[in-house]
Amino acid sequence: MTTDKVNYGTIIKNGIFGENPVFRLALSLCPAVAVTSGVKNGFLMGVAVLFVMTMVNGTVSLLRNFISPKVRIPSYMFIIATWVTVTDLVMAAYARDVYKQMGLYIMLIVAFAIVLSRAEMFASKNKLIPSMVDGAAMGMGFLLALVLLGIFRESLGKGSLWGYKFVDSKPLLIMIMPTGGFFAMGLMMGWLNWVDRKFFGGTGGGGGGH
Amino acid sequence: MFEQISQLFQTAFTHILSAFINKLVPLVGVGGSVESVEVVEIKTIVYAVALLAVLGVIFGIALAMVAARFVVKVDPKVDQVRETLPGANCGACGFAGCMGYAEAVVGNPDVAPNLCAPGKSAVAEKIAQITGKAASAVDPKIARVFCQGGRGKSQRKFIYSGVMDCTAAVLAAGGDKSCDFGCLGYATCMRACPFDAITMSDDSLPIISKEKCTACGKCVAACPKQVIELSLMSKAVVISCHSRDKGVDTKKKCQVGCIGCGICVRTCPVDAIKLENNLARIDHTKCITCGLCVKKCPTSAIHDYIPVRPKAFIHAEICAGIDVCAKVCPVSAISGDVKAVHAVDQAKCIGCGMCEARCPKKAIEMVQAPSSAAGKHVEKEMAAV
Amino acid sequence: MFEKVLTIFIASALINNFVFSRYLGLCIFFGVTKKMETSIGMSFTFTAVMLIGAALSWFIYTYVMVPFQLGFLKIVIFIGVVAAFVQAADTIMKKVTPALYYKLGIYLALIVTNCIILAVPLINAEEHYSLFESMALALGSGLGFSLALIIMASIREKLDLADVPKSFQGLPISFVLTGLIALAFLGFSGMITL
Repeated sequence: MTTDKVNYGTIIKNGIFGENPVFRLALSLCPAVAVTSGVKNGFLMGVAVLFVMTMVNGTVSLLRNFISPKVRIPSYMFIIATWVTVTDLVMAAYARDVYKQMGLYIMLIVAFAIVLSRAEMFASKNKLIPSMVDGAAMGMGFLLALVLLGIFRESLGKGSLWGYKFVDSKPLLIMIMPTGGFFAMGLMMGWLNWVDRKFFGGTGGGGGGH
Repeated sequence: MFEQISQLFQTAFTHILSAFINKLVPLVGVGGSVESVEVVEIKTIVYAVALLAVLGVIFGIALAMVAARFVVKVDPKVDQVRETLPGANCGACGFAGCMGYAEAVVGNPDVAPNLCAPGKSAVAEKIAQITGKAASAVDPKIARVFCQGGRGKSQRKFIYSGVMDCTAAVLAAGGDKSCDFGCLGYATCMRACPFDAITMSDDSLPIISKEKCTACGKCVAACPKQVIELSLMSKAVVISCHSRDKGVDTKKKCQVGCIGCGICVRTCPVDAIKLENNLARIDHTKCITCGLCVKKCPTSAIHDYIPVRPKAFIHAEICAGIDVCAKVCPVSAISGDVKAVHAVDQAKCIGCGMCEARCPKKAIEMVQAPSSAAGKHVEKEMAAV
Repeated sequence: MFEKVLTIFIASALINNFVFSRYLGLCIFFGVTKKMETSIGMSFTFTAVMLIGAALSWFIYTYVMVPFQLGFLKIVIFIGVVAAFVQAADTIMKKVTPALYYKLGIYLALIVTNCIILAVPLINAEEHYSLFESMALALGSGLGFSLALIIMASIREKLDLADVPKSFQGLPISFVLTGLIALAFLGFSGMITL
């Protein structure tokens, strides 16, 4: 019993900090830069990914004994595509204005390396509940990363947060343009690496990256 | 009868499905990239399933056909050989990466199994086992730096503050070192080494680790001054200088450069050293690594890579006083009257091994450091004498 | 009609460059651009896969999915088509051009998770492009991606010699660099008034 509890804690911590998909694993960077021009967009994208990852991990875990190893990758892609379609349609119905801006990126969740790799590495080998928790934790990490980026970009680029303006002067327009997205991503990664090194004795940075 | 039952089933199924989708699951809202529908028709579901099924079948068949038609017959031995290789893809074997060598050694009968330099003899044996080829003993090589002129010992022409890389530095008038043939010390070789065998000393000279170096030759290619060369590991005495400048100029530019004086040429008991273009070079086929030239070189340009030289020890009970050893000893470390037991002065002995080679009674033993087992035995004997 | 095709081609290659303006294909972008030779190999492979993948997807979409109102299956079908095609290309290349196959290694399989490969058929479907326009978009995206890869690779090769702070080495500095290139690409935005 106690070992189960400890496992969940590790899984959750791992998903959010240790193996944060955006800042640590550097997987699925496309949306991180694309949709974070506003906190609201980033948040909704994060929620969508959270939902997809939890559901996909759950489904893969349920079906793990029935999928032959030779066709597992296409099967996983199929499962992911199905759940993404569901998310896409639900979002189109209930969050129309946000969907208009980033509809394409929601559909591209299917191409995320993080979803596929988690399904392959974790869900195909573990039971239902731990898999779903792992998916949720990774999604949570992703959501946090996106919100962080969104806050950085929107506050500098529009002088607002979630649409509520709090600064009156002219904002730094470059931050909501593609350039700003890349800058924000690079700077955030670098700063987080530095924090990791200084306070947590990590080994962030120092070559590599993928 | 059957038709009626199947009809019944169809209608029942359609109704249940329709009820489930249209009543229990909320209606699809307005918007999105798909035209909205109020009620999901069974037709749509059937078409969707049909399309996916058909595509799945088509792809499955097509891929299976392609896989069968384009099968690549891989000799399982190739994979076995590939497993034994270190996987560094350094190219020392002369083939394109480890996979290239694995395929060549299995497919081509002329390719030797011992070409993998990093793998050394262990890998060569395994490959010989798998491919059934004979593996000859590999004489290990190591990369050696032919320059001892670090920052403390050599002069610089100007202060260089460009990109800290030898290939970049060499673009600025051939580098900032006064000697045109010397090591610039900006660690290009260190970065080129795929095995992390090179570190830079405090004096900005590359130090090559004997354990890690695999003689793959990447550093040799990377050095723009061609200061590094591959040489046999067993030939551990090396003239660490490439300077072809006249002795007078070399002395001005570097404290440890070869000035072409020729003392080593005269000292060498086997005539292994030649002087050419103001530079002495050891012919390693003749060299017996006695280490005499190391002691005699006035600028200490010759480097002895053997860490600790053994010392000669004469076994008193075997010695017959023939005196050949005393005559051949270059540093006159052996003393003793004719027909009397001879002894070696351990302080003077340089461990060249000439006496051991010449003693007809085989009374002389080259002994490693006193802390070894043989050394303790020697110490006891010496104490007895 | 030709005008529209040309416009789409130039727009997708330069103005709305998939990497610098639409932030797509970044994982592969950063992975492959460490060396020039992998970048060039990837450019060719990507453009080839893109053209054929887009064509196949267009045919299935126009002649099967639209008449039967199966538009909601876009994502599933497109990714399936691309995955199957890449798998076939993988097997064929291993036999026919093994040198290129080993050089590309994992990158061929990685194309399947490349966002751009899915994005182009999706855009074609949404905008209801004709065959030529779809091909123009595919070719333009391939060209734009190749351009991005080559520019980035040539910078990153020189980056090894620069003195980058430890925390920024690797990915963070590459991101900042990409931002600067994206800034440069902004200069194209007035080229064609759509």
